[in-house]
Amino acid sequence: MIYTKKSPALLIIGILMLAWGWLNTGNAVDGMQSWLLRSAYSDHLKVKEKFDAELRVATEIAKTDGKPAPQMSMPKSKFDAAKAGQAKLSFIFGGAFAVFGLLVLAWKPKEGHADYYLSVVPGFAFMFTIACVVRWWLDPLFANWGRLVKDSGALSWDFAKIFNLNYVVLGIVIGIIVANVVKIPAWAASGVRTARLFLKTGVILLGALYSATELAQLGALSVVMIGVFVLGSVGLVLFLGRRMQAGNSMTGILSAGVGVCGVSAAVAAAPVVQARPVDIAYTIGTILIWGVGCMFLFPTIGQMFGMGPVQFGAWAGTGILNSAQVAGAALAYDPTGIETLKVAEIFNITRVLFLPIIVVWLAAWYVKHEEGAQKMPLGEVLISKFPLFVIGFLLMFLLSSTGIFTPAGHYQGKYFSSEQVKEDNLLRPKEVRALEGELPKVTDVVQLQAVRELIEKRKLSSRAQDDSLKYVARIKDLDPLAKAAIEKASKVAWHDSKIIGAFRDWLAWLFSIGLTGLGMQITAKTIKQAGGKPLIIGGIVGTIKAVGSLIVVLLFVREFI
Amino acid sequence: MFPPKTLLLAHHGTAGALRAEALAFAIAVPGATNIVHALVVPDFWDGMQGDDWLNNASTRDTFARHLEGQIEAENAQQIAALREHCEARGLACRSQVAVGDPAECLLEMARDSGADLVVIGPPRKKGEPGYRSRMNLETLARGLACPLLMAR
Repeated sequence: MIYTKKSPALLIIGILMLAWGWLNTGNAVDGMQSWLLRSAYSDHLKVKEKFDAELRVATEIAKTDGKPAPQMSMPKSKFDAAKAGQAKLSFIFGGAFAVFGLLVLAWKPKEGHADYYLSVVPGFAFMFTIACVVRWWLDPLFANWGRLVKDSGALSWDFAKIFNLNYVVLGIVIGIIVANVVKIPAWAASGVRTARLFLKTGVILLGALYSATELAQLGALSVVMIGVFVLGSVGLVLFLGRRMQAGNSMTGILSAGVGVCGVSAAVAAAPVVQARPVDIAYTIGTILIWGVGCMFLFPTIGQMFGMGPVQFGAWAGTGILNSAQVAGAALAYDPTGIETLKVAEIFNITRVLFLPIIVVWLAAWYVKHEEGAQKMPLGEVLISKFPLFVIGFLLMFLLSSTGIFTPAGHYQGKYFSSEQVKEDNLLRPKEVRALEGELPKVTDVVQLQAVRELIEKRKLSSRAQDDSLKYVARIKDLDPLAKAAIEKASKVAWHDSKIIGAFRDWLAWLFSIGLTGLGMQITAKTIKQAGGKPLIIGGIVGTIKAVGSLIVVLLFVREFI
Repeated sequence: MFPPKTLLLAHHGTAGALRAEALAFAIAVPGATNIVHALVVPDFWDGMQGDDWLNNASTRDTFARHLEGQIEAENAQQIAALREHCEARGLACRSQVAVGDPAECLLEMARDSGADLVVIGPPRKKGEPGYRSRMNLETLARGLACPLLMAR
């Protein structure tokens, strides 16, 4: 079979990307970019104003001294950096796509590896282009619209924020629209299937961003929560399935899907419980309809409860049935930072580690309850279901622990020490005044002490103080300058290295591409299969799991670790 | 036209398909009518494991082999059952299996087999068990070059 489809699409994508890079380099789209990148553009105007003033003074001094006007160049603003970043990516990927596009048109493919690998490139380019459109245009566009509508008074709330219309949700929605309305083009079909590779790579890279303390605390929390809710929901489905006489195969596959990690668990468990096609169709349809619904609903509920990264990550990681939608919901909730994703992925990984155990349990359960069922080699099942990418995640964590990605002492809070913080990074007098003005709003004694200490030292002194101030920053109606001061102090203390910064950026791209591609694999035809007893049992257990984990998280999980 | 020489019967084992089968048998004449059993595997199966991103390739392959084996076994069972019913009535019968959109597949099979009558079951009522893969009746009726008969 020949996978590569002759089409000029890849070449066209490459040329369009090169054109976008060229337009940015030549400042030809500054008008549009100044509207899209509003915050960066306002920084640009300040930098320009300061530069113009300096140039004017320097020119006047030179004129007084009888010297020629000095040659000065304007420092780069955030706006320039953002445009340069877009241009760089456009040139690198646009150039590569154009070259591969020519190859697709010129080469006569023969069956083999070269044909398969080449066939993947157009699909990757398709997902990457959608990710670029979403990240560079649609995400800022919706953010601006949300603000405009709120400022105009038509709505008292920012619809883009409340409905989390950011690059993650928009990417998934566009993926779903492409798959169900316009259909995935034949030239891209092979590459779109590689979406899971980007998600797995993202999770592996994520391993570099945990400290040992974080991993230990989140790991322990996730084992307890996942242990209770996974085992509880698997057990509950097995109980309800038998009570409702859903059949052993259907009950078995549904318990894995609803209890562990959604479609992935259903796929792993189907052969061991000899699931029939109708069991598989009903179960996967039920999981998908539930998962997609939760992905859009959870972030909005999280906003309503004012949940922090740990709380929301723990809730999404436990309550959302399908693991792909856990990553989507976590990024949708917190698209700029990746703190929520870090928590949610630990929960996802814990679920995956539970999967082989649950599959073995189901294999034994099925043999016990189904007449004539053949015994499975349980050890073999356990080994074959082990998720290898978790080893990659752990390796990245171990590498990161050696300090090769982060400045020495980063995770120990090196920048809590007074000697390490420069005067420029300490809070300014107007920021201190803003904090002083907000003191009456802080009712908690520990948090009040944390703010007073920050006012006194103009910097953070400990991890505990940082944790307390994160609660303060979430107080409703807090002065934006006071909130910004707290965030600035935290940023100074945690001081990311350039490599870690780059990792965060790559991660955002990997998840953006992966989730867009995953959106393309969610079809209405599959979701429509939801029905029968699996929909009833899945609905009952899914609701109990989502509501139960929400209550547990709100009652027992501290907002910040 | 009657008796039809080639009668295309859409049959995938549901209650509606059994009614279509009874209608086809009422029309077909032994020795004069060839029954072509059209069995469509709906294309929603394409997306059934697309969302799985955590498993390794071996788990996905095992699942795909399991699912294909199960679908094949179900198809073989339905083909054998219909053949048996036809033989009991002295009707000639052959089966065709296709994967895709039900209406599109049926149109193609009707064209290829030179059917002069197509018999299908009624649309499934809400709540009846079975796959949610409805036949697009408008596409089918407009595309067919021969009469279409739907069982009640």
